[in-house]
Amino acid sequence: MSHAGVVATVFAKEVMDALRDRRTLLIVLLSSVLMGPLVLVALSALVGNLEERAERRELVVAGLAHGPTLVNYLQRQGFGVRAAPADYEAQLRRAALGDPVLVLQADFEAALRRGDAPVVEIVSDSANKRSEAGSARLQRLMAGFARERATLTLALRGIAPDLTEPLRVRERDLANPRVRGTQITGMLPFFVLMAVLYGALHAALDSTAGERERGSLEPLLGNPAPPWAIVLGKWAAVVAVAMAIAVLACFSFVPAQWLLRSDTLAALFQFGVREALVFVAVLAPFAAAISAVLMAVAIRCRSVKEAQASAGLVVLGASLLPLAGVFNLGEQAPWQLWVPALAQNTLMTRVLRGEGFDAAQALIPPLVCAVVAAAALAYVAARLRQAALR
Amino acid sequence: MIRIEGLAKRFAPARRGAAPVLAVQHVDLAAADGRICGLLGPNGAGKTTTLRLLAGLLAPDAGRLTVDGIDVVQQPRAALARMGLLGDARGLYPRLSARENIVYFAALQGLSREAAHARAEVLADALDLRHLLDRRTEGFSQGERVKTALARALVHDPANIVLDEPTNGLDVPATRALRETLRHLASPAGGAKCIVFSTHVMQEVERLCDHVVVIAQGRSVAQGSVAELLARTGRTQFEDAFVDLAFGSPGEAVR
Repeated sequence: MSHAGVVATVFAKEVMDALRDRRTLLIVLLSSVLMGPLVLVALSALVGNLEERAERRELVVAGLAHGPTLVNYLQRQGFGVRAAPADYEAQLRRAALGDPVLVLQADFEAALRRGDAPVVEIVSDSANKRSEAGSARLQRLMAGFARERATLTLALRGIAPDLTEPLRVRERDLANPRVRGTQITGMLPFFVLMAVLYGALHAALDSTAGERERGSLEPLLGNPAPPWAIVLGKWAAVVAVAMAIAVLACFSFVPAQWLLRSDTLAALFQFGVREALVFVAVLAPFAAAISAVLMAVAIRCRSVKEAQASAGLVVLGASLLPLAGVFNLGEQAPWQLWVPALAQNTLMTRVLRGEGFDAAQALIPPLVCAVVAAAALAYVAARLRQAALR
Repeated sequence: MIRIEGLAKRFAPARRGAAPVLAVQHVDLAAADGRICGLLGPNGAGKTTTLRLLAGLLAPDAGRLTVDGIDVVQQPRAALARMGLLGDARGLYPRLSARENIVYFAALQGLSREAAHARAEVLADALDLRHLLDRRTEGFSQGERVKTALARALVHDPANIVLDEPTNGLDVPATRALRETLRHLASPAGGAKCIVFSTHVMQEVERLCDHVVVIAQGRSVAQGSVAELLARTGRTQFEDAFVDLAFGSPGEAVR
């Protein structure tokens, strides 16, 4: 039989075997493919909640009666004012209260009239993200109130208000909306990487350590087929399963966007068929490499259980590497392209930002993955006979 | 036709400093076509290692193994194509049906799809497998597993059949059925195959073998028919003859 025929035969059998393992497939599908969209929808609910709060234009004030002038100012700016509950500190701590609280002292009004610069407190809990988001707005309102008071006082003394404003500040944000969006959608590449990993995991372990555990590797090698062709067929099957999961995971984001509650997030997260295809292209070399590495780790193990323990190390590594990109907030370092998993994470983040790849970005990661895959497969082929016997 | 001459194999010690394990020290065997040759020896005598060397899974340290004149070390794939192997490990794929298990190995032996399915049918009748053919092998009994594994090993209709303790774990009817099958395969009607099988069960050798090779401590210490071995040791019980040959003083070992 031709060597290509052996590869094709083993490939067809391993794919059929993997597809028959319905329970494992279902768990992988649920955990990997649905996870990303679920997180996306949950995120959109969070962002939607924040936006809703911003739109509600309602402020929470403790000691409402102590500052009629301030309350009048706030109402003129179009905000509703609500008295804070008595235990607002406790409520903020356990995140029951989603707005920061403005605290007025008892002598606020009198001190304001005397020009004594009374202190107002803005109370929020930095562990309570929702209250944190509203406190910047309160700060701006307080600054506005102070400016108005100053302007009025100066105007009474005959000084032109312009004199108090020797300069004006205007902000210009250079980030394009898609780059801003990646602050929120930045974890999506991680989810699809994990989907590939878990897609490959079971098939890789079953076709190596599983074959040893069942005692079917020795009879398999009793056939006149070269070990490398058998290994190549098995590897191709593992990659095929992993890529099928990857394709499902990537394309599941396309319909997931329709569920986005937040219009802002929906505008920021533009993930169409083109982006999904680029994701798949970026993931293919990674799937090839991780499948081979998992097989190399598992061929040393006598049982699937033992292999799972060893593969845990690979999974841990592959899930920690992309984090290097999170910690490194500055410019992407060139070395990151040479590290599998991290490189793919970087490239997919660029796709989400709407940026293209240069030659190095397009060539180095697949090259590294090809070398890793070839080395791991050579190792599996060399170990196969030995593995069959013990 | 299977020929083994001066075979030796040692394994590296498990611990540094320990003595190497001499699994096979000197084994000779000649198995002719149309005959059943039994490799008889106590546990740990080197039977499984000898058969694994024959299957090309291990490389011998010394000696020569040929199958129909083809050297196993030099042309392993050509030799494997002429052998049907039922080794120590006979695992099946549990999510595949018996037929799929058989057809998979047929494809790896280079049979066409049609030929593979036709062979599966023939073997199903010969081994009384028909009712199992389309069931997944997951819940098979030990006997059903051995039958399926044997069908898988014979799928390419090999001229030589090598079995490592094939009756291990089988009940009496299954053992008898297997014996019948092997006898048939060695007969002219069954294709006059050359059959080599290892065992440590006396009755099997007495009832089945045309030729016996007694192995002890990695050496083939005697060979011949059951009657010849009885005559040589002057015993009436084959078990006594075996004990004399396998465990007797080395000086008594005769060829």
